[in-house]
Amino acid sequence: MSEILFLVLGTLYGFLFGVIPVAGAGVGLITIFGFLDIFRTEPYLLVIFTTSLVVAAAIGDSFASIVMNIPGGSGSAATMVDGFPMTQRGEAARALGAALSTSTVNGLIWGCLVFLFLPFYATIILKVGIPEILAFLLLAFASVCFINNSYWFRGILALCLGVILGLVGQDPISGIERWTLGWTYLGNGVQLVPLMAGVLAVPELLEAYKNRHAHQRILGIKTEWQQIWQGFSDSWKYRLDGLRGGLIGAIVGIIPGIGGTVADWIAYGQTVALNKKEKIDFGDGNVKGVIGCEGANNAQKATAYVPTVLFGIPGAPFEVIIIALFLLVGIELGSPSLLTDLSFFDHLAGSYMWSLLLSFIIGIFFIRYAVRVTNLPFIWYFWPIMLLLLWTSVQYTGYWEDYIFFFLCCMLGIILRKFKFSRAALVVGFALADRLESTTLQYFTLYEYIDIFTRPISGSLMALAFVAIIYGVFFNKTRIKYV
Amino acid sequence: MFKTILAIFILCISTSVLADFRMIVPQQVGGGTDIWARIVAKELEKKLGERIIVENIPGINDIPGFNRWHNELRKDPKTIMVAHGGNAESFLLHKVDYNYREYAPIGLQNLTIVVGHRTDSDPFKQVRFSAGSGMNPDVMAITMLVCGPLPSIENYEKCFNEKVTYVKGMRGNERRLAYMRGELNVTRETTAAYYKHPRQLKENTEWFSHGIIDIETGKIIADPNFPGFHFNQIYKNKWGVEPSGELYDAYRLVKNFRDVLQKSLWVDKNNPNRDRLIKAMIDMIKDPESIAAIENDTGKYQWIVGNDVNKALSSLDGQITEKALKNLVWWTTTVIKQDAIYKEELLKKAK
Repeated sequence: MSEILFLVLGTLYGFLFGVIPVAGAGVGLITIFGFLDIFRTEPYLLVIFTTSLVVAAAIGDSFASIVMNIPGGSGSAATMVDGFPMTQRGEAARALGAALSTSTVNGLIWGCLVFLFLPFYATIILKVGIPEILAFLLLAFASVCFINNSYWFRGILALCLGVILGLVGQDPISGIERWTLGWTYLGNGVQLVPLMAGVLAVPELLEAYKNRHAHQRILGIKTEWQQIWQGFSDSWKYRLDGLRGGLIGAIVGIIPGIGGTVADWIAYGQTVALNKKEKIDFGDGNVKGVIGCEGANNAQKATAYVPTVLFGIPGAPFEVIIIALFLLVGIELGSPSLLTDLSFFDHLAGSYMWSLLLSFIIGIFFIRYAVRVTNLPFIWYFWPIMLLLLWTSVQYTGYWEDYIFFFLCCMLGIILRKFKFSRAALVVGFALADRLESTTLQYFTLYEYIDIFTRPISGSLMALAFVAIIYGVFFNKTRIKYV
Repeated sequence: MFKTILAIFILCISTSVLADFRMIVPQQVGGGTDIWARIVAKELEKKLGERIIVENIPGINDIPGFNRWHNELRKDPKTIMVAHGGNAESFLLHKVDYNYREYAPIGLQNLTIVVGHRTDSDPFKQVRFSAGSGMNPDVMAITMLVCGPLPSIENYEKCFNEKVTYVKGMRGNERRLAYMRGELNVTRETTAAYYKHPRQLKENTEWFSHGIIDIETGKIIADPNFPGFHFNQIYKNKWGVEPSGELYDAYRLVKNFRDVLQKSLWVDKNNPNRDRLIKAMIDMIKDPESIAAIENDTGKYQWIVGNDVNKALSSLDGQITEKALKNLVWWTTTVIKQDAIYKEELLKKAK
C-alpha cells in the first residue's frame, strides 16, 4: 500500500517540478535531502519516489516549454522551438498531446528494454571509450550549430562564447583559477541554472511582457479534446520521427554524464534535417519538431539508469543526486550485491512503468488547465514565474553574488536575443565545455590523434558530424528561426 | 497561483530554512565530503537533540567555502565547518585565509587512501594514473614505488616523465570508468569506494594503502582495513629497503595532512556550543548503530574527538620542515605541473 502511495506522491511531486519553469527533475531531487528521514527505514520507497519524480518531471516539463516558452527543465528547451509557436497559433493542446504521447511511448519502449534487461548490459558501457565520447561531443556541437540554427556562423560564435563561459573556473592542468576576473564566486565555474534561466527564459518572458496587451484568447474545451486527439494522431503519423528521437535519446542517455539537453537538440536537429519541404517551417510551429525531440525525453531518462545502476556512474547530471540520495539510505549503486537484488530491480522497473502511465494520465487531464493558462492575463503569471526563476537561480550559495550573477545572465540573454545569436548553441557549448576540455586532454594524453577516425564507433560519429557540417553550410534549406 | 505558492512553500520547507545547526561543506552536493557530512549530521543530531542541516559552498579547490566560514560564518555559534583532505593540501600549498590553529576541533576520522592496479598490465613498466584534487600523495607514492631509491629528488622528475602518464582533467566517475576499460591501469579510492568500485573488477588487485598516522607517535602505521598492503612494506618488498629521502619526507608531510584532516569538524574557539557538540560526538561514536552507518561510507577508521585533535595537529605541525615543504612545492610545480606556493609562515606557526 505504501508503495502505491509513494508512487502517486513521487509522480505528483515530479510533475509539479516539471511544470515549474526551469526547475525540472534535478531541483526536485535536491529538495528530497530535506525530508530523507522518511525513507531511512524503507529505502525501496526512495527508489519508487525518485524514479516517479524523474519520470513525471520529464513529462511535466513539456508544459512550461510549450505553453509558456520557458524550459521546464534543461532537457526540454528544444521542445520550445516548435511547441510555443503552436501555442501562439492556438494549438497548444495538439502540441501537448503529441509531446505526451511520444514521450510516453518512447519511455515505455526504452523503459522495457532498460529495466527488464538491466543486469545484462554490463559489457556495453565498456565499449564506449574516450575517443567515442569526444566524437559524440563534436557531433552535438555540429548539430546545434549547423542544423538547429538559421544563422550558423553566429551559431558558432555563440557556441564559442558558451564554451568560454563553461571553462571559467579552474584550469584542470594547473589547478589555477581561470577567467574569473578575480571574482571568487566564479571559482567553481559559471552555474548552469542561472545561465539557463537568464539566457533562455527571462528574455522570452520580458518579450512576452512587452507584448502582453496583444495577448489573444484561444481555444475552447471542445476544441481542446479534438486537438489532444489530433496530437495523438500526429504521434502515430510521424512515428518514425518520434522513434528516431527515442533511439537518439537512448544512445545519449547511456553515455555517462551527457544529459537530456544534448539528446533533445540532436534529435531535433535530425528531425529538421530529414524533413524537407514542410508546409510549416521548423521554428514556426511544426508538430514534427515537437515529436522529434520529445521522443528523446523519457528514452534518455530510462537509459541514463544503465551506467548509474551498473557502475554507480551517473548517466546524466540528475543521476549524481540519485546516487547520493540512495547512498544515504544504504543503497550502493554499482555494487555487485545490488545487481543480484531482484527486489531493487522490481521496485525500479515497476515505479518507472507505473509512474510513466500515471504521468501520462495526469498530463492529459492537466492539458485543459495548462491551456487555460494562455487565456489568463499575462501579468497574472509573469511575476510568479519571475520569482520562481529568481528563486531557482539563487540556490547555489544563497548569497548576494547569486543575484548579481543572475542579473548579468539576463543581460546577456537580452543582448543575444536582440542580435540573433543562437542562445541554444551558447547553452549547449556551456554545458559541454568542461567535458570537451577534459575529454580532449584525456584523449591526447592516452591516444594518438588519428584514433578517433579509425575506431569504428568514434569514426562513424565523426562522419555524421562532418555530414552535419556539409549539410548545414550547403544544403540546409529548412531553416528554423529560433535563436 | 495556488500551485506556485504551494511549490514555494514546499521548496522552502524542504531546503530546511527552519533548521538549527548547520554544517558548511566546501563542495557541491553529491561529493565525497558532502555525503560523509550528511551521514554524520544525521547521526550527530540524534545525540545533539537539535536538527543539523548541510549547506554547500563550493568553489575552486574547495577553498572559498572554508574561507567564507573563516571570514564570515564562524562567529555564528551554530555553524560547524566540515573540512576535508583537499583543504589540508591547500593549507600547505595554496594561498588561503583559513588556519586550523585558530579553531576549536570537534572531531575527525583518521582516514587514508587505497591504490589498486590492473593485473593485465605491469605498473612497474608504465603507470597510467588520473590526476585530481588531493591526489598529490598518491602520485608521489606511485613514483617512488616504480622508480625505487634514487640519489636525489631531482632524479625522480626524469623517471616520472618516463614511467608515469599523469592524465589530467578526469573526474572521479570518469576515472573509474577509464580504469574499468583499461585506459588507466592504476587507480585510487577511499576504502569504502575501493570496495565498491575497483575491487569488483576481476582485473583489479590491491597495490598499496598509504597507512594511517599514529597520533601518539606521529609514525605511519598499517591501515587496519588493508594490513598486508602498507606502502612502506610494499616498497621494501620491491626494493629491499624502507622508503626514505627528500621525496619521501615531502610525501609524508602532504599525505599526513591530507589523511588526518580528510574529514574533520571545526567551530570557532569561542563557540559556546563546543562542549555540547563534543559530548554529542562522543555519544555518537559510542553508539554501534551510528558508527555502523558511518563506517558503511568510510570503512573502519579511528575517531579522534575534542582536544585529542589538537594532539594530532601538533603531530602534523612537527612534520613541517623547510626542506620538506620546499620539496613538496618543487614537486607540485615542476614535476606534476600544478599550482603551488611556498608558505614560509607555516614554519613559523609550526614553531
